[in-house]
Amino acid sequence: MKKLVSAPALFVGAGVLLVIGALLAFWYAPIDASSMGFSQKIFYYHAPIAAAAIAAFGVAFVAAIVYLRTQDLLWDRLGYVSVRIGLLFSILVMITGMIWGKAAWGVWWAWEPRLTTFLLACFLYAAYWVLRSVVDEEQRRATYAAVFAVVAFVDVPITFFATRFLPEGLHPVVVGPGGGGMEGSVALSFAVCLVGMLLLMAALIRRDVEIELIKDRVTDLKTSLGG
Amino acid sequence: MTVEEGARYVAAVYAVIMAVLVAYYIISSRRVSALQRDVQLLEEETRRRQAQATEAGAE
Amino acid sequence: MGGWAQFKAIVRKDLIRELRTRDMLVSMILFVILAMIIFHYAFTVEEGSDLTWFTGGMLWVTFIFAMLLGLNRSFAQEKDERCLDGLLLCPVDRVTIFLAKTAGNLVFLLIIQAVAVPVFALFFIERSFLGDLLPFLVVLLLADLGICSLGTLLATISMNTRSRDLLLPILFLPLIVPVLIAATGATTLIFAEGTGFGSLAMRMLFLLGFDAVFLVAAWGTYDFAIGE
Repeated sequence: MKKLVSAPALFVGAGVLLVIGALLAFWYAPIDASSMGFSQKIFYYHAPIAAAAIAAFGVAFVAAIVYLRTQDLLWDRLGYVSVRIGLLFSILVMITGMIWGKAAWGVWWAWEPRLTTFLLACFLYAAYWVLRSVVDEEQRRATYAAVFAVVAFVDVPITFFATRFLPEGLHPVVVGPGGGGMEGSVALSFAVCLVGMLLLMAALIRRDVEIELIKDRVTDLKTSLGG
Repeated sequence: MTVEEGARYVAAVYAVIMAVLVAYYIISSRRVSALQRDVQLLEEETRRRQAQATEAGAE
Repeated sequence: MGGWAQFKAIVRKDLIRELRTRDMLVSMILFVILAMIIFHYAFTVEEGSDLTWFTGGMLWVTFIFAMLLGLNRSFAQEKDERCLDGLLLCPVDRVTIFLAKTAGNLVFLLIIQAVAVPVFALFFIERSFLGDLLPFLVVLLLADLGICSLGTLLATISMNTRSRDLLLPILFLPLIVPVLIAATGATTLIFAEGTGFGSLAMRMLFLLGFDAVFLVAAWGTYDFAIGE
């Protein structure tokens, strides 16, 4: 019987890059000069996971718009799966962020802008999940989910911006105004981890879309057999 | 913070990431094999019924 | 009939329907004032404790929860009496329906606030803020517009699902957080210190931006949300 889920080339690529990235982070990049010292190594996986989560939600946003334009359920499946992978990565961001918080600031939870925004994003996309589960009709479920995915993705950066109105945060600003920038060795290790994590996200999304399509096939076969 | 203290946090982070990703992969792999079995059974059943229908048509 | 006439007709219909029975308006006003009393008991931990720095938060939490109740009620009626089906059969642009519904909800919220804010000031605010009434009203209007446009879009979606009253807060609350942050900060500053437009400008601009973004987002997606 032919294999229904594609060969794991993307997974292998992601795995290799992530291992190289981790090796670089531990043996090539210097130990951080700040008070965090060795525990700063968390950053090399923590930040790429956050980027991958945002990218996954971005994929869901694009898929939602394309679905609304074409009404093709394939895009609905892509959006659904992207949200799921985005949520998975967001949960990892929360957990690793909490460990980072404990190492850097001595507390497990700080109401820090980025962490708070991610928490809210988790709840938003959990709501997406609930929304899908309470609509029975296929097209309608896809449409509502797409509308909500658009609104949610627009809302997340606005929320992040709004947290600037709150009292000062603790997060290190690495790149951008006020940030120290990265040394060459740090930047290289980080870039390898980032590409690896994005590949892993793409691999997981692709695999899960194929799983969803098999599920659809099962449903089709059942209906054609008279349910 | 000493390297040993830092290493504990780093190890915790990498362990959590690996554990969650591997668990997700294993769970979805089990779903895939279950689904593949379903597809196989359903396709066989469809073929069987089609064969029956053509036999009935021939008689 | 032009778009503007249709808009006015739908808003008028909603207002007449509500004012004829008044049940929603009365219960929402009761709810809002009761919420304030509850807040007083919940936050007064010692004698004469100063609630000034909680006032913005109390006010907006109350309004947001009141709006949730109101949205659920207004769309439940539309759905149960099959009003909306009739409306959709008319040759009316979906965007007009959205704008009219938003305007209707905004009017309700404003009526409630017209009663609730004076009572709130009487209960919690020692400083007279009459001099800062104008910035306060601007913040109020901008935040209301955001709450109503987003609320109308999400209520339209949630009313067509199996668990409509339960779903709306789950969809609405995480999305409305930016408005809550900006409006709460601005309102508290006005109540506590009487800051003028200068130091509130960023928050007002932010609220304006939020309103613009979500009016556009709703304008683009309402067609799909309201269905065939």
